[in-house]
Amino acid sequence: MAQSNDHLIEKLKHLIIQRLRLADMTPEMIETDAPLFGEGLGLDSIDALELVLGLEKEFGVIIPDAEVGKKVFQSVRTMAQYVFEQQKTA
Amino acid sequence: MRTSNGKTAFCFPGQLQERPRLEDHPRLAEDPHFKKCLEKASYETKFDLLNFSLKGDEKETGFNLKLQILTYLLSMVHFYRMRAAGWTPDIFAEHSMGIYAALAAAEAITFEEGLFITESIGRLLEREGTFHRGAMASIIGLPLEEVQKICRDLDGYQLSIANYNGSMQYVLSGEEEGIKKAISLALSRKAVSARQLSFQTALHSPSLYSLREEITNVLKDVKVQPPKFPIINHWTITPLKREEIKDFLSQEIGRPVYWVRCVERLLQEGVTQIVEIGHEATLTKLIRWMNRDVETFSAGDGL
Repeated sequence: MAQSNDHLIEKLKHLIIQRLRLADMTPEMIETDAPLFGEGLGLDSIDALELVLGLEKEFGVIIPDAEVGKKVFQSVRTMAQYVFEQQKTA
Repeated sequence: MRTSNGKTAFCFPGQLQERPRLEDHPRLAEDPHFKKCLEKASYETKFDLLNFSLKGDEKETGFNLKLQILTYLLSMVHFYRMRAAGWTPDIFAEHSMGIYAALAAAEAITFEEGLFITESIGRLLEREGTFHRGAMASIIGLPLEEVQKICRDLDGYQLSIANYNGSMQYVLSGEEEGIKKAISLALSRKAVSARQLSFQTALHSPSLYSLREEITNVLKDVKVQPPKFPIINHWTITPLKREEIKDFLSQEIGRPVYWVRCVERLLQEGVTQIVEIGHEATLTKLIRWMNRDVETFSAGDGL
């Protein structure tokens, strides 16, 4: 399970880089537990919309509203937990 | 500096939402264009803009006015930097009050005239915000029909769409109480984000159309020249003509910004490279949402 989680985290980092066109970044540069918004990776609400769409397209996972989005987009790890849980119940 | 066979567009963003935190951008602080423009603008406006760049607080008097002046300055600084680095744009686009820097960069007006217009209109807006407090909100993640419905459901608060920034990306303008209610409604209707912006006036709403005469008066001694680069008029989607410019300026804060149309026009014109001539990457992200193939970046990246 740990290995598949690591794999999912890696895929999510690639998704962030690709959706947000962070050309100068590599997955290794994104800390798994660092905040995605504000002081961390410095993302904003326009980026959030990109990530919502990206999760839906790549993983078939829906972020239903801003409240859930706030919890999910705390870090790459919280994103991975949400994707894992949603795919498990699908 | 062209990296593709298509055209290059320079895009001038509207007002920054936060002070640029100069302390975090030492390369910008040391840039000779920045120093020169800042000194000139501080002298002309009598504001200590260096101190504001380092310590400006949103609670201080004239915060939005100083931010607007700084937005203008930063666009001009980045324009001079890009030109000095060898970049030659084919076409300009602008968002909201980015028009002042776009006009100065295209030499339709001088740097000083751009500064004067930015400050004078900024003061009118500040006065308007004191007597008729308005507000704005960014609504992300709802389709146009849903945003229009929110305006209809809150009939009486004079809400209107101020910016058409892309599908699922809109800005509302109106009375502050109505804007707060609109934010709650948008969130309850599953917006990805809905938040109030720092403005204290209902920019780009019909309520500001009443300033038209006063703005015309501000512009009376400004000598407009033909722009050296075409600037897309986001209402007509054609390049602004010299004789249209004053009228455009007097109306634009009372009319919505159709940014989507602007970008579509740029792409139709064969633009394959878009540079945001500002400190942040707001327009860059909006363009990315509309078209993922066009090469886009902000001149402020990495500074």
